[in-house]
Amino acid sequence: MRKDLVFGMAGSGGDGIVSAGDSLLQAAAAEGYHGVMTKSFGSQIRGGESSCRVRISTTPVLNPGGNLDVAVALNWDDFLKFGAELPVSGTTVVIYEAATNIPEDQIPLVGVTPLQVIAVPIAAMAKETAGTERAKNTVVLGLIAGWFGIGAVAVMKGIRKKLAKKGDELVEANQRAFDAGRAFAMAHPLKASMNIVASETKGNVKLITDGNDMSAAAAIFAGCQFFGGYPITPSTEVMQFFTDQVWKYGGSVLQAEDEIAGIGAAVGASFAGKKSMTATSGPGLSLKCEMMGLASIAELPLVIIDVQRGGPSTGLPTKTEQSDLFAAAFSAHGDVIRPVLAPTSVADTFRIVIEAFNIAEYYQTPVIVLSDQEIASRKETLDPIDTSQFKIIDRLRPTAAELQGYTRFKQTENHISPISHPGMLGGTYLASGIEHVESGAPTNSGSVHQRMNDKRTKKFDPLKDRKDLFEITGNPNAPLAMVAWGSVAGVCREALAMAQAEGMNVKLMVPYLLYPVAEGAYNEFFASVQKGLIIDQTHLAQTFKLLRMHIDLPKGVHPLSRSGANPFLPGDIVAALHHLLSELQRSHEGELQPQE
Amino acid sequence: MSATGTCEFQPKDYKSDLKPIWCPGCGDFSVVQGIYRALAAVGRPPHEIAFVSGIGCSSRIPGYTTAYGFNSVHGRALPIAQGIKLANPDLLVLAAGGDGDGFSIGGGHIAHLIRRNMDITYIVMDNQIYGLTKGQLSPTSQKGRITCTSRYGSMEEPVNPLLYVLAYGAGFVAQASPTDLAGMAATIEEAIRYPGFAFVNVQSPCVTYGEEAQQIKGLKAISESLTAMGHNPADRLAAMDLAQQYGEKMHLGVFYRNPEPPPTYGDLVKERQTMLSKDALPKERILDLFIKK
Repeated sequence: MRKDLVFGMAGSGGDGIVSAGDSLLQAAAAEGYHGVMTKSFGSQIRGGESSCRVRISTTPVLNPGGNLDVAVALNWDDFLKFGAELPVSGTTVVIYEAATNIPEDQIPLVGVTPLQVIAVPIAAMAKETAGTERAKNTVVLGLIAGWFGIGAVAVMKGIRKKLAKKGDELVEANQRAFDAGRAFAMAHPLKASMNIVASETKGNVKLITDGNDMSAAAAIFAGCQFFGGYPITPSTEVMQFFTDQVWKYGGSVLQAEDEIAGIGAAVGASFAGKKSMTATSGPGLSLKCEMMGLASIAELPLVIIDVQRGGPSTGLPTKTEQSDLFAAAFSAHGDVIRPVLAPTSVADTFRIVIEAFNIAEYYQTPVIVLSDQEIASRKETLDPIDTSQFKIIDRLRPTAAELQGYTRFKQTENHISPISHPGMLGGTYLASGIEHVESGAPTNSGSVHQRMNDKRTKKFDPLKDRKDLFEITGNPNAPLAMVAWGSVAGVCREALAMAQAEGMNVKLMVPYLLYPVAEGAYNEFFASVQKGLIIDQTHLAQTFKLLRMHIDLPKGVHPLSRSGANPFLPGDIVAALHHLLSELQRSHEGELQPQE
Repeated sequence: MSATGTCEFQPKDYKSDLKPIWCPGCGDFSVVQGIYRALAAVGRPPHEIAFVSGIGCSSRIPGYTTAYGFNSVHGRALPIAQGIKLANPDLLVLAAGGDGDGFSIGGGHIAHLIRRNMDITYIVMDNQIYGLTKGQLSPTSQKGRITCTSRYGSMEEPVNPLLYVLAYGAGFVAQASPTDLAGMAATIEEAIRYPGFAFVNVQSPCVTYGEEAQQIKGLKAISESLTAMGHNPADRLAAMDLAQQYGEKMHLGVFYRNPEPPPTYGDLVKERQTMLSKDALPKERILDLFIKK
């Protein structure tokens, strides 16, 4: 019996492999399991290759998992295109389409002997039972129900609901295809049973959503009333959610003529007094930089969600990467601090986006949320979130007294000035991209510029003391350490548990606040550290370099970085920790042995 | 305050204390006077007005009014203005800037505000030159014009701002000039009152880098009142015909006013908000959208 299963399935665009993954995840949630599903596509719009990974577990899932327990290949060409995204090992059961005419001992996986390989006449079974090969994905779901014990009832319940409008005939055809798959599995039991154990939380309500929808829902919860943006993969769904929902809350959304107009409208809406946001991805972030500079100097709250993909330029539009870190931290010219936050999962995207709005409003600043393609597009099962625990912060408005002779950029003790907005009697002022005196009037003065730069940067000092924006797990005094953020953090959380199970004395820091760099938090964390890894999915080790700009990292701390679309597996991280541990032990050998 | 206006406000109520940076004799001094008069005639209090500009000499103009001003970045007055209007449709939203700001670096935006029929009045101070950067070729500079970036003469045809906005379907298109301050104020007032996107091209001479023919005297010589000509502003094709003479003649007044203004984008937004508000889950329950039953 298993407590955790990772499925990886690939086929052509029309095979419905992603929709099968959706059905499997929903069925698993209905049966009380936790799960994560990631999708990966070629860049073709139709046809081309598509794949998904579905990880199902009896305990909360931290990441999409490492090597596959179950690989499903509807054809090998498509499966192989995903390479490291669908890693097969000696513990994987491989199920593939018999019509590929490849013998079970000759499947094209180099250098690996899977646990078991099974050719299944999937297309033929679909044709025979449902009258069309389009039911292949339903046959696959039947096979999974039969072999792994997930969704025997729930899968068809979901499919019935989904197809209800399309008529009984289609539903029954799918039922026959599903039953055929399940019967095949029953008739050909696995060498070793891989049934998943029943969940103890069956019957509990579960939510299922992805990071993009979650960030839009969080924004509306935080009081966001305006979205301006432009379609770009993989962030577009944020705008789509707004176009479905925000009107209901008296807000509006503008699909602008370009990336600049999208953020421009959001800047305008913020000036007009409303919480506003935009969302984009790499190339769009580059285009939005000038407006971010404007929002910084005009001290206007604004949230920018950047769903990272492989860069530079068009790069890898459908694959995840963390290489926008520098671009986010140092976006736009001039001396400026723009806070950068990063969620690590769909679940905590809710909290982080609310936090982004709170920080934007409190500090009157643009805030960048660095999501990534994996978090944005992956679906997670979630336990219901108690929304009453979240505090919503609104910008500081001028009092009636302050509106007598109002001074928009008034110097205050905490460098934050009450902000008015059009419609407010007595609050008129000039917002501008040009340097200004306290009233807002333009100036060329170097001394005013110095003072205003002080105001605009010092106001962030308290942000760096926010301990709740850093998660530290493991032994606080451990000599071995990891730092990871974004979707990579989930992999490292699992690696931490694995390393601890092996007896390693190690700890992990997950920063939700990436910029400004909170020197104090890191210095405290690294005080006990002799060896460590700064782990990110960038080619240039951007996180390591950003930290080095601000902190004297211990000598034994190194980057562990790789380019996008080459996901880290928990096992990779543990292996790297082993290496560090042996280095650490070697460096102490002299202390343990008598000197000659 | 009613949109039909009262005499509650005087032009001086819209004048700020900031001293313009413009060169003595600059046409923009008259434009800002025209705006004060138009705003007083419309009668909205300054704090209900948002006035947005980009970058350039003329883009300093919001600061010289007592409205909420936004002197933003080059070419982006319109995107910001539409965000303001969508966030608070009750505001009177003005946008202004130069010909470079509106038809070169920001040239991509106008078409879309027109398409959306955003209820914004856009005033372009057209002087056929980049003044703030000291005299380079602008998108409305005549072909052959010698400037510091076209020593041997411009090789480009100028943009025709009037024809451009007419072709995109703007509901209100007019031209004004400091040669007739009262006419300019009346035209801007009419533009503000038009329910939808309104465009006013103001021929505003640059006294420092402008050509002789484009100074007040030269402009007067080629100016002609559209009303006096008997032009029917409901006739869009006739307006386009007249607009072809941009650069040769300076027609003043309203080229085109849609006699049946369509709903504005703001109207449609309000309609949609009203229609859908009953479907809203309480915000604290928004995550219920993700429950799979």
